[in-house]
Amino acid sequence: MLTAGPGRKVGIYVAEDQQYHGSAAYAAILDFLFFHGVSGATVTRGIAGFGADHRLQTANLVDLAVRLPVKVEFIESAEKVESLLPKLHEMVGTGLIEMHDTTIVKPAEKRTHDNAPEGPALKREGKAKIMRIYVGENDKWNGKPLYEAIVSGLRSHDIAGATVYRGILGYGANRRIHKDAALSLSHDRPILLSVVDTEEKLQAFMPILDQMVQQGLVVLSDVDVIKYAHNYKQAERRQEART
Amino acid sequence: MKLAGKAKMLRIHFGEDDKWHDKPLYEAIVMKCRELDIAGASVFRGIEGYGASTLIHRSHLLWSSDRPIMVSVIDSEPNIARLLPVLDEMVGEGLIAISEVEVIRYVHQDGVRSPAL
Repeated sequence: MLTAGPGRKVGIYVAEDQQYHGSAAYAAILDFLFFHGVSGATVTRGIAGFGADHRLQTANLVDLAVRLPVKVEFIESAEKVESLLPKLHEMVGTGLIEMHDTTIVKPAEKRTHDNAPEGPALKREGKAKIMRIYVGENDKWNGKPLYEAIVSGLRSHDIAGATVYRGILGYGANRRIHKDAALSLSHDRPILLSVVDTEEKLQAFMPILDQMVQQGLVVLSDVDVIKYAHNYKQAERRQEART
Repeated sequence: MKLAGKAKMLRIHFGEDDKWHDKPLYEAIVMKCRELDIAGASVFRGIEGYGASTLIHRSHLLWSSDRPIMVSVIDSEPNIARLLPVLDEMVGEGLIAISEVEVIRYVHQDGVRSPAL
């Protein structure tokens, strides 16, 4: 991240059609800057100009010029710029690199995801429970699909996450085969909801589930949670702490 | 059919194109489970995967695809034990995994239900 204070501004001029290892030179330079942690870079395409060969290039269609000037500009600390220069020198080919001292009055900031609510700490690692709920696709609750109702119920109870799977064939307690066939009248395919959270949170949801599921199977088993990242802000902060 | 407390979950993974006596293996397994009075079975189709043969199974627009199939069966331990030798014979190339589960609720249409834990 750039900080306010002295910095260097570098301008690199290349031709639009100039190549570096098979791709456009300006794109290769931009990639190089990006992957070397430069805080920001801008590519501007000129509409006319001339260079070392003193041939005037314009965007006029009649001339069909393709050697329009492209300028890559970035601002970084002096040390950072020094470390990048040798490679840039190689990449720019016949182009030009200029540089001057500048003062950063206000560095750009990362946009924050203000609309993402902070929410309760949902990150869990270690022992947890997986709850699997087997219902039918046609099961309803208050007029809407039961599996959708369960998912919204889980969400309102801050359960870490739920995934709904639709099966292609199955049977349950009533012995009737549910099959996914174009011509069959029944489309009551099996639905599996898989929910992972701590045992307490799942147990707290149980009474509600008990009311909702009129017919079906609910099973619980142990799982080890390896990784769970839950919102932009936290994930971003963690990313920053690492770099 | 009553199912409560500790139970076993059996998951069988194989390919959609696998056959048993000229019909899809997953259909044959479900029918066999029903025949053996197993509490229930559900078949899920994956969208991509690979297995012992390390061949990627994925759906394809133009030609027939051997997508991954997972059959999940939950029942008491004795019933699962009864099913296993049969499956062993039916599933040629595939994976069968057993895990421990706790049945929270099992209800069917007639209102017969397991005690809520």
